[in-house]
Amino acid sequence: MIKYFKDIFTASSAILGGMFITFNHLIRAKSGIATLQYPEERWPRPERNIGFNHENYNVIRSRLHVDMDDCIGCLKCERACPVDCIKIETEKAPDRGTDIKDVKHIGITKNGTKKALVVTRFDIDMSECCYCNLCTYPCPEECIFMTGGPNAPKHPIDYEFSEPDRSDLIYRFAKPGTKEGLEKLLDKKQEVEA
Amino acid sequence: MTVDFIYDTLNDFFPSLAGNDFFLFISMLLPIAGLLGFITIYGFGVIYSEIKVSSFIQDKTGPMGQGPGLHAGKWGLLQPVADGIKLFIKEDIIPASADRPLFILAPFMIFIGALVAFIAVPFGEKIIIADMNIGMLYILGVGSIAVIALILAGWSSNNKWALYGGMRSAAQIISYEIPAGISLVVVIMLASSLNMQDIIAYQKGGIFNWIIFDNPFMPIAFVIYFISALAECNRTPFDLPESESELVAGFVTEYSGTRYAIFFLSEYANMFVVSAVAVTAFLGGWQSPFPNFLNTPAFSMFWMISKTFFLIFIMIWVRWTVPRLRVDQLMHLCWKVFIPIGLFNVFGVAIWTIVIG
Repeated sequence: MIKYFKDIFTASSAILGGMFITFNHLIRAKSGIATLQYPEERWPRPERNIGFNHENYNVIRSRLHVDMDDCIGCLKCERACPVDCIKIETEKAPDRGTDIKDVKHIGITKNGTKKALVVTRFDIDMSECCYCNLCTYPCPEECIFMTGGPNAPKHPIDYEFSEPDRSDLIYRFAKPGTKEGLEKLLDKKQEVEA
Repeated sequence: MTVDFIYDTLNDFFPSLAGNDFFLFISMLLPIAGLLGFITIYGFGVIYSEIKVSSFIQDKTGPMGQGPGLHAGKWGLLQPVADGIKLFIKEDIIPASADRPLFILAPFMIFIGALVAFIAVPFGEKIIIADMNIGMLYILGVGSIAVIALILAGWSSNNKWALYGGMRSAAQIISYEIPAGISLVVVIMLASSLNMQDIIAYQKGGIFNWIIFDNPFMPIAFVIYFISALAECNRTPFDLPESESELVAGFVTEYSGTRYAIFFLSEYANMFVVSAVAVTAFLGGWQSPFPNFLNTPAFSMFWMISKTFFLIFIMIWVRWTVPRLRVDQLMHLCWKVFIPIGLFNVFGVAIWTIVIG
């Protein structure tokens, strides 16, 4: 008989204690919540250090970015790529080293090289990229680089690659309208010559 | 009461057609239409609060809906609407080997059981659809329709999980009706009436006149009624009929789409009914907790609904605190704990009313 009432007392006090705990969690819902509203809030990124002191190894390999104003279309990065994820197409420019209105960008790079080729297509398929960083070393103008880390002033870091479609992972760096502009320009030139 | 009011108003407005049977039909139909609207809106509200309370207890945010694209509104306020639309446009599957007529009948029956009980719920001083002199008995009786519906659902699905769920719910609801009834008998003894409005009128004049504080036996009766009501609603910790981890989904295993939504809605409607009965019997119904504070007929509905929602909040709170009982523990709790203590309560209150009251 004593055990019967003892059991009832134990059960009710245990349930009340549990409800007290859950109520505490309920009322501090403002501060205690662990969920992040993902696209608006993110966890802070940890500092990267893989243990080498060599600067070339400590570079953050997040996403390839190309500064098209500096690209001269030399195809060195395309040849260096071990998985062939870079596709470049170039056309010979009618005037070397001067800014052309229709193509917008041809001219002189930051290093002072006169651009002779118009890059009509510069696609990097980031779903194929193996992040080996080999394409960045041969670039004579240092215009292809991994975002973030030492290159943070040039371009903010991007590492999540969340896209609704797989084809959106092919990043198209060639300036839109370059090809059409160049064709228009060449047509005009032919007309003038005729 | 509401039916009579609408009938009289119609007769006053159209004296030439007075006494028409059509008026009687309309005056019965209108409150039912109002009830359906109330249950739908209440369903959205209680589903939203269930989502949010459960999330906050687990240190989550629940649906928030920020950013672009399709999302559930600010703070996820449209989440129940989205859930409802999803359930109503889903394919409605009837298994090939199911007992077709019974399978279709079961959801209607459980919803009718919930809807019919609303008729005797006193929403306010003047707002009660049928002010019966046996209101309490009527609600207790109508509550048993759910048992038939659950067994029908379990049997007609032709599925072992569904049948297990149906049989468990039958055992559970029939058992727990006894302690619930016994603890309401105590209230009826004090108020000496089965009429809902009379029971509320007995508790007039502030929080200390409520039946729960009437004598030392009443808090025990309230606790027994509330826990038995949880069991009758198939809420956790007594959700054995649909225990997800053992029986897939119990008696609703084979139901999908609209029929599942009806089961869902009537579960929440049942929660409202049992909470309203608990408020009527123990917590002063539509009376204000203070003698002369907002104690007008206009505020009676506010007090009734807010007290009921407080009990529903406790139900949600308990759901996310206490784990599910085993079948033998369930039966032990009912037959060996609640019924003896409930019978002792009846005896004690009888002595108390003779000696002190």
